[in-house]
Order: sequence, then structure tokens, then C-alpha cells
Amino acid sequence: MASSPINTATAKPDTGSLVGTGVLIHLSTISPDTLELTLSNLAKAFVNEPVLVAIPETAGANLAGSFESLRLLPYTPAAVSSTPWVHTAADYLNTFKLAQEHNSPACVLLGAESQTMLPESIRSLAHGTLSSPADLVVSHYHLGAREGLVNSAILYPLSRSLFCASPRFPLAIDVGLSPRMAEHLATASQRFTAANQEDALLWPVSEAATNGFKIVEADIPSRVAPQPATPDLNTLLNQILSSFFADIDARASFWQRMRSTVPPRTVTETSVPSEQFDVTPMLDSFHLAYSNLHEIWSLVLPPHTLLGLKRLSVMPRESFRLADNLWARIIYDFVLAYRLRTINRGHLLGALTPLYLAWVASHLILVQSGVAPEQHIEEVAQAFETDKPYLVSRWRWPDRFNP
Amino acid sequence: MWQQVELALSQSAHRALVTLANFLPGLLALLLAVMILTAIGAILAALLKRLLTAIRFDERLSKNSLVPLDWAPSHGPTLLVARAVFWASVVLGFLIGISAFDAAYAGNSQMSFFLLPYLTHSVGAIILFIAGTLLARFLARTVLIEAVNARLQYARFLSVGVKWLVLVLTAATVLDHLEIGGMVVDLAFGILFGGIVLTLSLAIGLGSRDIVSRSLEKNVDTEVLPPDPTYKAQPTAETLRHF
Repeated sequence: MASSPINTATAKPDTGSLVGTGVLIHLSTISPDTLELTLSNLAKAFVNEPVLVAIPETAGANLAGSFESLRLLPYTPAAVSSTPWVHTAADYLNTFKLAQEHNSPACVLLGAESQTMLPESIRSLAHGTLSSPADLVVSHYHLGAREGLVNSAILYPLSRSLFCASPRFPLAIDVGLSPRMAEHLATASQRFTAANQEDALLWPVSEAATNGFKIVEADIPSRVAPQPATPDLNTLLNQILSSFFADIDARASFWQRMRSTVPPRTVTETSVPSEQFDVTPMLDSFHLAYSNLHEIWSLVLPPHTLLGLKRLSVMPRESFRLADNLWARIIYDFVLAYRLRTINRGHLLGALTPLYLAWVASHLILVQSGVAPEQHIEEVAQAFETDKPYLVSRWRWPDRFNP
Repeated sequence: MWQQVELALSQSAHRALVTLANFLPGLLALLLAVMILTAIGAILAALLKRLLTAIRFDERLSKNSLVPLDWAPSHGPTLLVARAVFWASVVLGFLIGISAFDAAYAGNSQMSFFLLPYLTHSVGAIILFIAGTLLARFLARTVLIEAVNARLQYARFLSVGVKWLVLVLTAATVLDHLEIGGMVVDLAFGILFGGIVLTLSLAIGLGSRDIVSRSLEKNVDTEVLPPDPTYKAQPTAETLRHF
């Protein structure tokens, strides 16, 4: 397992009946306004097949009579999450407890706004967990060129290169879990909930990869992605990346041994808006940061990378392009600095924000020039894979290896 | 007359030499105590580090703890324990040395009344100075990063201003602690602190004129428009979704 890629595949929607049924659908972040719509969607997805639907009591569950095939399980959450746009430790813990209580052969955890998903999509998530020997079914969303950019820039390439796991959305909010996967996640969650960190994020893909579990992807062609309550990018990046970098640090002994790469993904067509996006504010932000944060960056980044940023800072807007390998090295150096606590971790992730905006600007300029967004994201992911030995070397010998 | 001058000089020299003779053993005792305890501390720390590494203390601690512990490689629990032991020994050395120094002047010299409190105050002043410098650097970086991310053009100026505010405050506190300068320090501190605050206020006020006016215009616009409860902001083509 240690040196072979994680076995991943895409779960196909199945029109046949589900074996065993009794699948637990957990709507941890459902709101009372969308409950009826969501249940009607679930009833369409599982026609004449009994399904357990767990709903927090706060969402109100007085619609049981309307959906005979669905068995509603209102529950009082053991721990409450305050970030409904993403699943937290509390959600995974509650899912496992409910699944264990009702002896469910599989669980599906649906995120907020799940009423916008097609019934077939929900079914494919459940089917992936029940009928194939998969432990984790991760949603593959079809987002636009200007959506899910943190995922495309950092989460997906890092997850793919370090854990050799191909899911395009490592932080997907709709997942299918086998009982043993749910148990593993609950164990991981308990470490956080015991410390009153109910809102801590978990990384199911890396958890599955580390334990040698099979991961598959389920195609979710359409879905409205819930957005965070706070619009502050700096705070959000700090929240997501500190959790992800800590997870990478904790699993260092695993990913350092992984030598293989994920086969190239078939690039799907993504709708590109015809109108131009104004990247000037992002470029201004980068230029301002270059003139002010150079001192802080020089504590984290090696001279070669700083030279790359210097060249980037004088590039004209039209040809502004953050090279994929430069971006990969920047992220790897920040991961390493996070581990070594080179500077305060809050400062570190704050100093990454303008660089991320530079990547976004570069990506959008490239897309506007006619390059398919998914094609570019694949190239970025491949650059991360190619440069993985750099991270491994610096991780092992941070002081000695500094080209 | 010359005899009297000679007498006065010889008596003065005698007194100074006696004082020095009384002072040196105490100082020597202080230095010896610090050096010996530092050496003992270094040996103890080295032994403890070897022992803890041998029993894999770091791994055991992270495995057995319920709460996820987060240590940097250069600040692991083993190193922390070893350093704590070393510095505890150094502090103990100082305490023993100061006691010995104090004993050497058991109330028969004015110097002990003057020097001992000053020595303890100096230790406090050094701690204050280190803490103030660290705080100044931390706040300066925080302000700089936040200001850059908020796209404030005067980010560096703001950061330097905050840094000097804290440094000036630290310097004034240190001097006050050492009882140096008296009123002059208070006065200089007041002028400098007030000057920096005024400069920063002017800079922020002038620099954020546009932001304030935009904010006010926005408020006026929302007050003019009738509130529509069914209205929901639609994402425009210009919207970027980072998540």
C-alpha cells in the first residue's frame, strides 16, 4: 500500500435497486426552509426503498407523513457545528453515532443546499458506498471557471501529490461513507470534540488514503455550493489551510513514502464566461504585498522562489503568469514553514493570501486567453507531483536543503 | 596644609580600597555561583535530553494525550524540558549568588542598599525590554499583514508606527523601572507617544477618506431604497468563489 497509488474510480449512477437499503442519509446542516424540498428530492432518489434520514431536531421534522419511503430520525446532536458550509468533526461524529445506533450498512452525509442536487446524484453517492467495495465516495462537482478556486489552487494539487488520491474535491460536502470509514472519522473527530473543538475540519480523503481504504468519486453535475458566512478571504484561508497543513504534518510519515503519481485525469469541459473578469484588484494586492511583505516572505521562501516573485512583480498585466512549478514550490515552502513554525502561523497564512490572489489572477488571465480551466488545474497538479521530492527533501533536512 | 591634603587623600584611598575589598568577594561569589550552576544546568539538560530521547518521550506524549498536541520540531517536549531545567539552574545560580553578595554586605555598607535593589530592578528591566521588543515585532507584523490584505497603501507606515509606539512605551517603562531620568522620561514619553498617535491618526484619516466616503454613500443608498424582504443578492458575472 505504501508505494502504490490509492485506488480510485468514478461511481456511475445506478438505476437498479439498492442492495440491503437501510442507508443512512445525514442532513447535518439542513435548514427548516429547505427541509421539505430536500426530503422530496430524497424520496425521488429512493423510490419505494426505505431510507433512514437523520435530521437535527432544530430543523423541525414534522413532515414524516408526506414521505412514506423515508424514515425520519430527528436527533439531538451530541456536538453542534457552527460552520454549516463545510462538514466539521461534530458532523462526522454524529453521523457515526447514528449509523451505529441504527446499524446502517452505509451513510451519506449531505451538505447545505443539498436540495439543489439531482436525485440521481444522491443515489450515486449511496450506491457507491453500498454496492461497490468503496469506503469513501467523494463528490465530483462541475463548477464554473471562477468557483472553488482554493480547492483548485491548493487543496486538490496538494492532496493528489502527497496522498496520491485523485478526488478533485478533497473537502467535498457530500460524501458516502462505509461503516469502517465512518468509524475512523469518528475516532479522529473525538480527538477534537474532546478538546471542545467541534468546528475542527476533518480531511476524509487523507484519512482514507492513510488507512488504505478505497476512494471513489461520484459525479454531481449540478449543485449550488453553500458559501461561508464570513466573506473575509484571509480568515477563511487561515481556517481551511491551517487545518489542512496540520493534517499534512500529522501524516508526514505516510506521504513521504508514497512515490507514485495519479494517472492524468480526463479533462472535462467547463463553462467559461464570455465576459472578461477584472483581475486588476488582485494584481494590485500582489504588487502591494511584494513591496511590503518581502521581508516576511524571505523568512519562508528560498532565494530562487523570491527571484521568481521578483520577475512576477514586473510582469505586465497581459502576460502575467505565475508558473506552475513556482506556485508548487511556494505552497510546499509554506507547508514546511507551517511545520517548522518559522513565523507565527497566523502571520504565515496571512502572508500567503496575496500570493494566492496572484495565482487566481494568473489562472483567470490564462482561462481568458482560451486555455481550458480544468486543463490548467491538471497541469498545476502535475507540477505539484513533479516537485514532491523537493518537499520531501526539505521536510527531512530543512536547514541543509535550501537551493 | 599639604599634610592635611595628604591625609585626606590617603584616608579616601584607604576607604575606597576597603570598600572594593569588601565588594570583590561578594561579586566573585555571585559570578562563581552563576557559573557553577550554569555548568550543572547544562550537564543536567544534556543528560535529561539523552534520557528523554532514549525513552521516546515526544512520541509517547503525543500518543497518550487526548488533546491533539502541536509541537514544532525545534520546540518539542524533550527540548522544552531540557531548556527549562537549564534555565532553572541559571536562575537558581543568580539567586544563590545574589544571596551571597547580600551576605557579604550584611548591613555594614551603603553599597548593598544601592546595588542590590538596582540589580533586581535590572533583571526586571531586561525581561520588560525583551517582552516589549517581541510584542512590538509581533504587532508590527500583524498590522503589516492585515493592512496589506486590506489593500491599504500605507501598510508599512502603519506597521512601523505601531512598532515604535510599543518600543517607546517599552523604553519608558524600562527607564521608569530603573528609576532613571525621572520626570524627563515621563515628559519625553508623553511627547513621543502623543506625536506617534497623532501622526498615525492623521495618516489613517487622510488615507481612508475614500473608504469612509464610499461607506457613507453606501449607507445613504440603502436608506433611500425601500427594503424588500424577498430580495436576495444574485451572484453577478463578476463574482469569484474561492470555496
